[in-house]
Amino acid sequence: MRGIRRCTGLIAAGLMAASVAADACAQVATYEIVGDGIPIPLQGAEGRADRGRAIIVDRQKGLCLLCHSGPFPEQRFMGDLAPSLEGTGSRWNAAQLRLRVVAPERLDPDTIMPAYHRAGSGARVAPAHRGRPILSAQDIEDVVAFLTTLR
Amino acid sequence: MTSRRFSTALIAALIAAMTSAPASSEAGDGRRSGYLFMSPQTRAMQDDDMANPGMLTVLEGAELWSRPTGPAGRSCADCHGADGSGMRGVAARYPAFDVAEGKPVDLAGRIRKCSAEHLLIEPPAFESRPLLALMTFVAHKARGTRVTTGEDPRLSRGIETGRGLWRTRFGQLELSCAQCHDDNAGRRLGSAPIPEAHPTGYPIHRLEWQTVGSLQRRIRGCLTGVRAEPFPYGADELIALELFLMDRARGMPMETPGVRP
Amino acid sequence: MSRALIHVPPRARAGEIIEIRTLVQHPMETGFRPLPEGGFVPRLILRRFECIYDGAVVFAAELHPAVAANPYIAFRLRATRSGGILFRWIDDQGAVREERAGIEVI
Repeated sequence: MRGIRRCTGLIAAGLMAASVAADACAQVATYEIVGDGIPIPLQGAEGRADRGRAIIVDRQKGLCLLCHSGPFPEQRFMGDLAPSLEGTGSRWNAAQLRLRVVAPERLDPDTIMPAYHRAGSGARVAPAHRGRPILSAQDIEDVVAFLTTLR
Repeated sequence: MTSRRFSTALIAALIAAMTSAPASSEAGDGRRSGYLFMSPQTRAMQDDDMANPGMLTVLEGAELWSRPTGPAGRSCADCHGADGSGMRGVAARYPAFDVAEGKPVDLAGRIRKCSAEHLLIEPPAFESRPLLALMTFVAHKARGTRVTTGEDPRLSRGIETGRGLWRTRFGQLELSCAQCHDDNAGRRLGSAPIPEAHPTGYPIHRLEWQTVGSLQRRIRGCLTGVRAEPFPYGADELIALELFLMDRARGMPMETPGVRP
Repeated sequence: MSRALIHVPPRARAGEIIEIRTLVQHPMETGFRPLPEGGFVPRLILRRFECIYDGAVVFAAELHPAVAANPYIAFRLRATRSGGILFRWIDDQGAVREERAGIEVI
């Protein structure tokens, strides 16, 4: 099964619990880092730039503008904890951007940029978010598709 | 205390000059109170005891302080003085080491313990209005005095536990307190400037809450923000964090009741 | 039990403009705050504030749900006669709360 991690260790418990947990695990795609990027889109999904922009400006979903500013004229009070997203697409290609969104800790272990596609390994993850990535594979592809348009 | 009866009651009609709050500023070593990260208008609200909504909670605490309660009809004032004069500087050394419990105790825990053991009443619930009123009243008595928390060597283990929590990456977002409040203080998360997280104004009147709240409430809010399950009120971990933060703020002046955005 | 802080200068010259500041403890519950179990916290707000001095309403204000908790109302009046100043807050259930202060006019 390309891209789907097999969830081992889910043998015990009831059928219900196993299927819920399997659903959470199935949300996290596997990927391969090649050089300084992840060349293959997650789960083979096709990203849409318009959806990606909507995710980025949504402060409850993408959370991006809490830290990043960027070319979003209708947005106010963008944070200044991280570089502007302006020109992102001319600095990095899709594979490089995918790595930065999915696994930024690979480039800087101390980064404050969240890893947007993993079953979180933080302490005391809230029950609603346990085992779930911040953004789905489709969301990631949408975000990458939009970022590549920023030149 | 959820009654909303709007009755005439004793009030403090403050005439003449307003009492002045101390300048909440740097400790001279570069540490900055959250006061300095606020707008001039919000600072003015804190500085003016007539406009600081936290002072209403101080008044509430003063009334509870003197009110006899429980089967023995005792009040806090019976032991600690009618106007709380014995409380000057007390809040500035909390959390303190509780010998009987063998671990750190915060001001809320101390008040609850006193209520049970000396007033012989059911201790007020965490984050309840009466408990916050008493905490704010007591901590207000320490306003202007310097934080001394952590000088007691018995607290060093608790401080280290707190430091470990401060550096723990919490939640789905995997962020630690240190990453924001040590590494990025002064920068903005969205519209909100990130302060250095010195708890010198607690309990604070937070404009976002429209009421007074404790440091535990604030920390629980942050943990929820990084999508972590917060520690329950009264948890040892929250006390350890407060202990670490107060030790980190040692030497800075108390500001209670602080006003924060 | 609700508290209030009132600042009135104890003394003023006849004809002097003085500033009065009031801060009253009130949740100003808008009626739009959701309850965890569904529904909303019922609205309970102050509707009107009046200051009565020297036999007349010298200042009045209408309050609406947009006013934050613990309303702070400051205003100026002309000191004319020594005596009492009455402050009155009325909520949307008609409950009235009054406080008094005194001023000496010389």
